[in-house]
Amino acid sequence: MSRVRVAGFGKRKVLASGWLAGILVAAFLAPTSIPTPDLLHTTQAPFQAGHWLGTDPQGLDVGVSLLQGSRTVVLSSVPAAILTLLLGAVLGSAAGFWRNRALTTVARVAVAVLVAGLGLLFLPQLLAFPLLGSMLLVAAGALMYWPLRRAAWAQRSVAVPLDSLLMGAVNLLDSIPILILVIGVAAMQRPSATGTIALLALTCWTTAARIMRTTTLQIAARPYVEAARMVGLTNFQLLRRHIWPNTWPLLALQLPLTVAALIGLETTLSFLGVGFSPDIPSWGKLLSTVRQAPTAWWLALWPGLALAGTIVSLHSLAGLGANRSDVTK
Amino acid sequence: MKQLLPGLILLLWASLCSSCSPTPAETSSTIRIRWARDPENLDPLIVDNPSANETINLLHCSLLQASEAARGYTPWLAAAMPTTQALNDSLLLITYQIRPEATWDNGSPVLARDVAFTLKVMNCPGLPIEIAQAHYGVIRDIRLDPQDSRRFTLVCVGQDVGTSGDYAILPEYALDPQGKLRTVSVPELRRQQQPALAAEFARRYQSLELARHPERAPGCGPYRLVKWQNGRSLTLQRKTSWWADKLSAPPAVLQAFPERLTFQVIPDAATATLALRRGELDLYSLMPAGEFARLQQSATDTQRLQFHTIDSYQFLTASFNVRRPALQNRLTRQALTHLFNVPALIQASQQGAAYPSVSLISPRLKPYYNDSLPLPDFNPAQAVQLLQQAGWQRSATGSWLRGTTAQPVLLKLSVSYRAGEPSFETAALQFRAAATALGIPVELRPTEPSLLSRQVRAGETDILINNLSGQPFSYDFTSLLHSSSVGVSNFTGFSNPAADNLIEQLVATQQPARKIILLRRFQRLLAQERPFTVLYFLKYRIAATRRLGHIPVTGLKPGYEAARIRPLPLPVQ
Repeated sequence: MSRVRVAGFGKRKVLASGWLAGILVAAFLAPTSIPTPDLLHTTQAPFQAGHWLGTDPQGLDVGVSLLQGSRTVVLSSVPAAILTLLLGAVLGSAAGFWRNRALTTVARVAVAVLVAGLGLLFLPQLLAFPLLGSMLLVAAGALMYWPLRRAAWAQRSVAVPLDSLLMGAVNLLDSIPILILVIGVAAMQRPSATGTIALLALTCWTTAARIMRTTTLQIAARPYVEAARMVGLTNFQLLRRHIWPNTWPLLALQLPLTVAALIGLETTLSFLGVGFSPDIPSWGKLLSTVRQAPTAWWLALWPGLALAGTIVSLHSLAGLGANRSDVTK
Repeated sequence: MKQLLPGLILLLWASLCSSCSPTPAETSSTIRIRWARDPENLDPLIVDNPSANETINLLHCSLLQASEAARGYTPWLAAAMPTTQALNDSLLLITYQIRPEATWDNGSPVLARDVAFTLKVMNCPGLPIEIAQAHYGVIRDIRLDPQDSRRFTLVCVGQDVGTSGDYAILPEYALDPQGKLRTVSVPELRRQQQPALAAEFARRYQSLELARHPERAPGCGPYRLVKWQNGRSLTLQRKTSWWADKLSAPPAVLQAFPERLTFQVIPDAATATLALRRGELDLYSLMPAGEFARLQQSATDTQRLQFHTIDSYQFLTASFNVRRPALQNRLTRQALTHLFNVPALIQASQQGAAYPSVSLISPRLKPYYNDSLPLPDFNPAQAVQLLQQAGWQRSATGSWLRGTTAQPVLLKLSVSYRAGEPSFETAALQFRAAATALGIPVELRPTEPSLLSRQVRAGETDILINNLSGQPFSYDFTSLLHSSSVGVSNFTGFSNPAADNLIEQLVATQQPARKIILLRRFQRLLAQERPFTVLYFLKYRIAATRRLGHIPVTGLKPGYEAARIRPLPLPVQ
């Protein structure tokens, strides 16, 4: 019985890994040049010389678009997923470790952070100019921090309700469907490619944060962490040496699932015309061309297969990884 | 499960009932028409898109209306075509008589003083009169007939009679009930001699916010606005007692049959086609060729829909913003013209049903069309030569540079077009591929229509792909290409003394032979200067439900006459 399971395990793993490796290879082999539309063969059915996977209504080769779309998947969804997990991991770990009272700061720092945080209300504009936006946020915080240096109340120590803040933000974001949130922000001002990645990361980090918070809460309560604290290790040393080594495998398991979710989200955005600019080919954009030619089945089939294969492979890898490790034991 | 069963039965029954009962469209007298964009602004002074133009023409009446059937203008609010008398070489007196039946919604007659009031509004400082000035600035004064309150004479520069009567007449009783503008003349307003009076009127006019509330200036047209959801739909209701109903045999321009017209804003062509097929639309004009052909081949659709095709005066252009450093040189613009593969574009996006042209004059207008000019061909090698002649040099990285080494200008372009329009996207993609092959980076910018309008007005585009439409009866290019219209309606920023001179001569002449010479010369100048390149002239493709009966199609935009559609009576059940 165990042999059968091992054989099945291996076959699925090989298939999933093979597919993803194929996507990686396609991403690197995809032509970087701008494709020339073949205006004499628009919406041409597949399996014909010159365009083996057919053409779209603009005369673009579907095969080339698929290859270029795979590069967009690799270069956008993977970085976005890593960013998402990092953001969720940092916030979740901090909330789980310090909770509501353990982290204190002087009041003026809290005020400066709060003011900078209010700048996030202008998220669409910030995403349009990420670097300038970040600098403006820092500048806004600094402008509050500097004048308060002489105020007595601003020097008092205050507890930062990190856990409540995080859970409030998580509940707020989770109460709005991600697709609607992302479309709303993207529709206000179309973000750049970097902005789109940042937008995906800023709206999808909640799952990773919840997982990391829960796991950190569990591990932080264990006796050996208490013992280490008694020995005199600093908070950062505790996190680095005793908490993170036990929590990151969960995060690693989450990576393929997050990549899969983000690929789906990015494809949906491109399909709806609010994702990447038209200069950047994507599977979603290719799928959307079927609206111009509803009888052109190949415009739905090939990108649909690519998308389904990639998401199923990522889920398979995540499932296999989960079977092999349970970090909470 | 027991609780679910009654619910399922109820749902099934409701579905059966709804599928058996006729849809609202079949029972109502509403005609639903697709628009690609919202009118955005319904102030009669600021009509700058086809949707707004169509609405204004249903809410208001002009003195004259362009008619393809008549090959010119026909009287609308005017009782007959005006009489003309040349005052001297440059001034023309045009005398109109308003129809005696014409009344405003409050029952008061439409009089010559309403026309005078309209002209004063179009010349009032402090109001957004730039577009009106670009189009109708040739009307310098109005003289009311003291014996006949419906008779008046316009003093015009130039010989174009049509232009003198092609603007919406505004109700004085609604916009200036105390008649304060009666004390000032049109020339005085033009010379800004009564600034206080003009400023006070401008303030009152602006406070009405006609852009969003056109009902505050009720026109004497057959319809009134009942609903306007920005970016979604606009509904017009026929007036229960319109003045033209009293006519025993109203001419075509005074016919208005549909009780209700609903214009649905659906920018995306594929979505609009889906709405038409689902019965959520009754009429779709300017349908993409591929979709049109597909519907014509579908047995289901041909049973329910009727199809019309007609040659139009609308053309697809690639306009160059000549104010941009990279596009200031005409040789550069000529070079870029050679990167459009027009025959292939016609084949791909119009399925061959369009025709190329050397200029903005339709090739169908043979006397005026300059057929001695060659059609611009797709020739990248020629483009390279022209770029080099324009002073561009290819750098080691492959990009094109011009100017001093300290401040080089990089040939890098963006192509803007309305998102969701396949023919625009096809042209943009083809151009980008050809330009990129030569080392010219091109960024595509499909943009939402209202945002695109703002960008065009602000001069923020490099190359704009859009449709322009003209009339075969008026050859006044002032608003489009005269230097006085730069920043108003001349969105390319083109300014050329020779072109200005030709435009002014064209407006001033009425002799056909002279007009032919001037038009041919003007086309030659445009071919050299290339503020825009005409890719092809379109055919209007109109699909409509059969219940609408005969569709009065026309080559003038928008391709149909909505007010003259007479839906077929429903069969008696």
